[in-house]
Amino acid sequence: MNDVILEVNNLKTWFFTRRGIVKAVNGMSYFLQRGECLCLVGESGCGKSVSALSLLRLFDSPPGKIVDGKIFYKGIDLRHCENEQLRKIRGRDIAVVFQNAQSALNPVFTIGDQIMEQIKIHKKMNTRDAQSKAIALLNEMRIPDARRALQLYPHQMSGGMRQRAMIAMSLSCDPEVLVADEPTTAVDVTIRAQIMSILQELKVNRNMSIIFITHDLSQVNDIGDRAAVVYGGKIVEIAPVKDILTSPAHPYTEGLISCLPDISADRARLSSIPGNAPNLLDIPSGCPFHPRCNKVMEICSQTEPVMVNIKGVHQVACHLYTMKIEKTA
Amino acid sequence: MTEVGPHVKHKGQTIAHFKSNLLRYYWERLKKNKLSLAGLTFIIFIAIIGLFGPIFTLDPTRSDFNLANTPPLGFTRQESIYDIKSNEFTTRIIEGRIDHPLGTDSKGRDMLAMLIAGARISLLVGLLATGLAIFWGTLIGVISAYLGGWVDNVLMRFTDIMMTFPFFLLLVLIVFVYGPSLLIIILVIGLTGWTGAARLIRSEALSLRTRDFITASRALGASDIRIIFNHLIPNVISLVIVIATLSIPGVIMAEAALSFIGLGDPMSTSWGTILNAGQHTLDTSWWVAVEPGICLFLTVLSFNFLGDGLRDALDPRTSV
Repeated sequence: MNDVILEVNNLKTWFFTRRGIVKAVNGMSYFLQRGECLCLVGESGCGKSVSALSLLRLFDSPPGKIVDGKIFYKGIDLRHCENEQLRKIRGRDIAVVFQNAQSALNPVFTIGDQIMEQIKIHKKMNTRDAQSKAIALLNEMRIPDARRALQLYPHQMSGGMRQRAMIAMSLSCDPEVLVADEPTTAVDVTIRAQIMSILQELKVNRNMSIIFITHDLSQVNDIGDRAAVVYGGKIVEIAPVKDILTSPAHPYTEGLISCLPDISADRARLSSIPGNAPNLLDIPSGCPFHPRCNKVMEICSQTEPVMVNIKGVHQVACHLYTMKIEKTA
Repeated sequence: MTEVGPHVKHKGQTIAHFKSNLLRYYWERLKKNKLSLAGLTFIIFIAIIGLFGPIFTLDPTRSDFNLANTPPLGFTRQESIYDIKSNEFTTRIIEGRIDHPLGTDSKGRDMLAMLIAGARISLLVGLLATGLAIFWGTLIGVISAYLGGWVDNVLMRFTDIMMTFPFFLLLVLIVFVYGPSLLIIILVIGLTGWTGAARLIRSEALSLRTRDFITASRALGASDIRIIFNHLIPNVISLVIVIATLSIPGVIMAEAALSFIGLGDPMSTSWGTILNAGQHTLDTSWWVAVEPGICLFLTVLSFNFLGDGLRDALDPRTSV
C-alpha cells in the first residue's frame, strides 16, 4: 500500500493571458499511492482541474505553461518528457474521466467505435477481441445489454449511461491512475450513487489509484482515502479523510465543513464563507485565504505560510500552526 | 412518435441499422424541400446523360454545311438568298428536322450531340475542380484551427492573399502561358478556389476543437493526426458537403466564362464554347446560344437548390 506511484512537487501552471498571468496552479505538492483515492476539494476556479490536467499536459498551450515543479510517475519525469512519450502514457498509464460526458464523447461515432478505437491502437488487438473487451468493460460499468449499447450514438444514451460509457472508455487501456474530474457534476443523484460505487469497485478490484476532483465533501467521505483542500491554486491542508472531516485544521476547511447542511441542527439558514474565491489573476499576498479568514492575524497578509505537520500525516499551511511550532521549538 | 430521427430510441437494432437510419433521417428531411428534390433529380438526369448520352448521339464534331443553321424541331427560319441570274432575293423557309431535334450550329453540327458532350465536360470540370478545392479547403481549415498559433496565422494570411488575388486574371494568364487545356483549367480553379471553404471550415473546427471530446481523445493518447482525421473531419463533413454543392455552380460558370471569352479548351465541347460560338449568330440562329444558356441556367440553379436543401437537412439546428 505504501507504494508511491505519482508524485507532484511544487507544481506551478500559469496561463499567460492578455489580462495578465493567471496562476491557476501555484505551487502544489502531493503524492498518490497505489490503490489509493486522493480527493482534491475546493471551490470552483481554485485550480483543481488544471492541476490534474497538468499531469498529462492537457491544458491549452499557449497560453498555459508549467513554469515550475516536478511531476514523477513511476520515476518518469512527466514534466520534461517528450510529447511522443507523454502521448503513450496518456490513456495507457494515466486516464482522465471528464465532467461532462455529453461533450466528451464524439457525437458522430457510436460508443463501440470510440471504445474500440482506443483498444485497437494501444493494445494492438483485432476488431473481434476489441469488441469483446469493450463489452466486458461496459458490463463492468453495469450498463445493461452491453452488446447493444456498443451500437448506440452518444445522443441515444441517457446521461448516466454516457458517463459510464465515458469511464469505460477511459479504462479501455487498463490505466493505473484514473483522474476523475468532477465525474458526477452533470448527472442526477441516483446515477451519482452508481458512479461512486463503480469507482469504489475499481479501486478495490483493480487496485487502481484515483485522483478524485470534487467540490462536494460528502463524496470525499464516500470514496476518499486522503483529501487535499485546494485554495487559490495551492493545497492548504492535506490529511486522511477522517481527520479532515472530524478535526479540520485550516480555517478554510472548517468553513467548508460548516457549510454542509446538518440534518440534526435546527438552523434556519445555511452558513457560508463570506467573500468570493480569489481571482487567480491577482492572488492576495501572504496566505491567499486571509481576506476571508475569521482568524486572520497580522502576519497572514505578509508572509506565505508553509506546510507543517500537525499530527502524523496531517499537514496544513496556516500561520495558526506555524506560530505554535515556533513557540514550542 | 412517427418521426424517424437520431433522438428516437430504437430497440434491438444493429450498427448497420443505425447508420442507415441516420441516412434515412437526413433523406426524410431533404425530401421535405421540394425544390432541392427537383434540383437533385435534374442533376442526376444531367449526370446520366453526360455519362451515357454520347454513346447514342451523333458525333458532335461532324459538320455538314448543307444543314448549317437548321432550327430546332418545330421552329422555322427564313433565309434570303441572292440569285445572281435573276438578280433578286428569294426567301427560303428552313424547317426543323427530326434528325437534328435541337437544330444545328453555323457549321452544321448537331446541337443535341454538342450539348450532351458539353454536359459531360461541364460536370467533369465542376466535380473535379470543386473536389480539389474542397479537399484543400478542408485540410487547411481543419489544420489551421486545430494547431492554432503561428500555423493558424501563416495559413490564414496565405488564405487572405489567395482571396484578394484576382483569380480570374491568374486563370487567364496561366491559360495564356500554358495553352488552354481542360486539365489546366481544373487545376487552376481547384488550387485557387479553396479559400472560402477553408475559412468556413476553420471557423467550424475552431468551435469543435474546444469541445471536451477532443481533449478526451488527447487524454486517451490519440495523436494530432488521428484527432484531425478521425475526430475533427468527420464532424465537419456535413458542412463540407454543403459547401461543395454550393460551389459547383460557380466552377461550372467559371469554366463557361473562360470558354466564352475564347480561353476554353478548343479540343472539348463545353457549354461555354457553344455559347461563345452562338453569340456571333444570334441574329440568324438564336438557338445556338440559347440552348447551352438554358442548360447552364438549369444546372446551376439545381445545384443551388440542392445545396440549400442539404444545408437545412444536415444542420441539426434547423427544423425542416
